[in-house]
Amino acid sequence: MKRIIIADDSATARMFIKRCLQIIGLGDAQILEAEHGKEALQLAKEEPADLLLTDLNMPVMDGETLVKWVKASPKLCNLPIIVITSAGNPAKEAHLQQLGAHRVLNKPVSPPMMMDALSEFIED
Amino acid sequence: MTQYKPFYPAMVNAVRQTLENMVFMEVMEQQPPYSDIAPENLAWSSMMINDPIQGEVRLAVPSELLKQITANVFGLSEEEVTTSQGYDILNELLNTIGGLFMTNLLPDDQEYKIGLPTLGNRPLPEVDDETLVWHLITSEDEPLKIYANGESLVGIYQSEQDS
Repeated sequence: MKRIIIADDSATARMFIKRCLQIIGLGDAQILEAEHGKEALQLAKEEPADLLLTDLNMPVMDGETLVKWVKASPKLCNLPIIVITSAGNPAKEAHLQQLGAHRVLNKPVSPPMMMDALSEFIED
Repeated sequence: MTQYKPFYPAMVNAVRQTLENMVFMEVMEQQPPYSDIAPENLAWSSMMINDPIQGEVRLAVPSELLKQITANVFGLSEEEVTTSQGYDILNELLNTIGGLFMTNLLPDDQEYKIGLPTLGNRPLPEVDDETLVWHLITSEDEPLKIYANGESLVGIYQSEQDS
């Protein structure tokens, strides 16, 4: 079973992402929800995850800082990260990918967008 | 000089795309006379735009519409919907609309910074000379309004009108 961490301070945003995951066939994945980057980091450290989906704009620890922490950790650095943001643009996208994010998706995310972004991580 | 894209459609398209994708709801521009939302039946949220222009955007919807959207998103009946779920959806909608608006308005390679949306817990501010209003309506005839405020932000629209 896939283990996927969703980090977003909005319960609504997490719900939308979960719904997308269900639609694209990941309804049986174990979904772990975090309200900010620090909580997501803790979840990732507790047990290996297959994927981290994170918002950028969050309290306590934002998404960019979360990407830096994950990529700086020898234990977590291979964890694929997809950033989902309402403040994306090509420059920001390039910057986040340079930090180690695998993909950057702009809100609102649709199931086809999610499918495309996750295809390389959900093959079994 | 920064080449902004057309101001008014940038917001209309942002709202349309957000509501269609997130809550499967069609939205269009309303023609006058505009529907009012009674203050006692209104929920609103605001968000600051911090960089490269400064301003504030607000989203105002009837409480009943918010309840319907919330019930739909969370798969609940309208009676089961909690106030906090509704407010969270309102904030998330504005967050997405605000980001898309900036994407639609700014040149393609331009970075921007927006704040976190916050719920309006006082009467909606009066519309003044520095406020633009988008009067929108859903396919079920529910009004929905967007306000943009701030000299820097609204100045883009005014420059566009002057040229």
